[in-house]
Amino acid sequence: MWLVFDWQAAIVVDDDGQVLDDLKHNGFLSPRDIVQRIQSMKNAELTPEAHELSTRFPDAKPRQRHEFGNSDIDFPEPTKEQTLQFDEALILQTTMEIQDESGHPDRRMEHLLRLSDELRSSQITLENRCIEWIGDVFPYAQSTSNRLDFLRKVATCETIESFCSTFDVEAPTQDVPQNEWKIMASTAKQAVQEKADVDRIEHAIRELSNQYLPSVSLLLGPLLAARMCVEAHGRERLSKLPSGTIQVLGAEKAFFHHLKTGSPPPKHGHIFMHPWISHSPKWVRGKISRMLAAKVSIAAKIDAFEGEPWTDEDLEKITRRVETIRNTRRKPKRKR
Amino acid sequence: MSNHRETNKECLLIEKSTIWTMNATPGKRVYGEKTRRFSSQEFRKWDPYRSKIAAGMLRTQHDPQNLLPPHGAQVLYLGAGHGTTISHIHDIVCGEANKFGGRIIGIDISPRCIRDLLGLAKVRPGFIPVLADARKSTWEHTINGQVDWLFQDVSQTGQLDIFLDVTSKHLKPSGRALFSFKMASERWSDEAKTTQIEAMEKRIASSGFDCDEILDLQGFEDEHFLFVISKIV
Repeated sequence: MWLVFDWQAAIVVDDDGQVLDDLKHNGFLSPRDIVQRIQSMKNAELTPEAHELSTRFPDAKPRQRHEFGNSDIDFPEPTKEQTLQFDEALILQTTMEIQDESGHPDRRMEHLLRLSDELRSSQITLENRCIEWIGDVFPYAQSTSNRLDFLRKVATCETIESFCSTFDVEAPTQDVPQNEWKIMASTAKQAVQEKADVDRIEHAIRELSNQYLPSVSLLLGPLLAARMCVEAHGRERLSKLPSGTIQVLGAEKAFFHHLKTGSPPPKHGHIFMHPWISHSPKWVRGKISRMLAAKVSIAAKIDAFEGEPWTDEDLEKITRRVETIRNTRRKPKRKR
Repeated sequence: MSNHRETNKECLLIEKSTIWTMNATPGKRVYGEKTRRFSSQEFRKWDPYRSKIAAGMLRTQHDPQNLLPPHGAQVLYLGAGHGTTISHIHDIVCGEANKFGGRIIGIDISPRCIRDLLGLAKVRPGFIPVLADARKSTWEHTINGQVDWLFQDVSQTGQLDIFLDVTSKHLKPSGRALFSFKMASERWSDEAKTTQIEAMEKRIASSGFDCDEILDLQGFEDEHFLFVISKIV
């Protein structure tokens, strides 16, 4: 004996497919109600109708209609209105699933990191353009110590005269039209603003990364950890990558060139940004990056399976390993 | 002009090697395709280079309309993608404001694709996008009973296993199914193409289906084959 049910009806059939009892939902179900029913059915729960029938026939084994397979049984079909309601519910459920996806840390991290890259490159371009332009007009005015402070001051100068008095310089020999000066000042303002935005985004990435990838963040620093995670298409995938792949993540061009032409393979990808590698002498970088990539792959597994995150003690051990590698090879290998 | 033109079905028009479907949302285009008026109705051009079904319709030796579902059909579409093909299927199965009462379940694994499809679903009633993995059974509750017509385009290893599993479970006994096979998704590429296809044909036949036609889409979509299959009653 079987209890077959879907979201709107339930029947009890015997082994010959004869219907012994049926119960249909009468009345109105909103799309949200239906979504709830679908969700609970996914968790292998009974609908109210099926529950009612199961009390009448405790021996009947419950099966959802699509699991039951046998299409010959006389199952009460939904009415036309019910089907329309159901369709609406399915679309609602799809929408909700997409929204759930958007809250995933992998997605958030990717958006944040890409945005920070794009904004940073735009900020640097603007800043350079501004410095170049103002430098043309006032070759001596520029303070070389901090470009951003300089631009911040420029942004406050409404007119070219106020600029001259702020920086205590002579008026230029060639007159700068007022409208062009205004453009220059507002570009400076924009560059300063974008710098603040980049800082804010990076702060957000650090926060997310420290919490989502604690061990990898401790090892590589939160920004680099976030980059590794995004490049690997998510934390779970990062944890599944072999350390050799992690080592060359971000050096795809060189890597595939190597595969194609047999040129020397890349020693490091994004991982190069870590000071252990970029601040080491050239001849040990490959060794350190190989070791570090292996440690990243362990750390990523810890984070992905939410194990006990690494502590400073663990980091200390790895730092000692790096020192050992550096110390055993103080000089480059002699060429023969 | 009328002698190159066939209009067996109200919503479909085949003119030489161009396929047109009657736009279910007049004035709106889906992917920047050409539109044109025939007898005061707007039609959308179906690009065979972007849709494997359209390519198959141009390659088939039989009536191209046999490949398509009838008006008001229950349709299951695995691998909905960005909705290029599905919009044309919707034109035929549902029509404007779903006047034919069809129902299309479009399944895709990518949230980004489904996001586009949700916009399509808003203007095309009768089309329901579902976010799910075709290989798993999480979407099976979405179809009421069985479907009349089924299309699968999933480009994964084991495409045929998925197809046979889904078709035997969910296709009505008299139903028709199209299966787009991407050669590059399979591992065994060292065998000759024809032996591979023959082996697949045998497997389909032994699983209780008729393999009506196998269309090589070379030229439109290289290394792709379209299998036209019906269930033996």
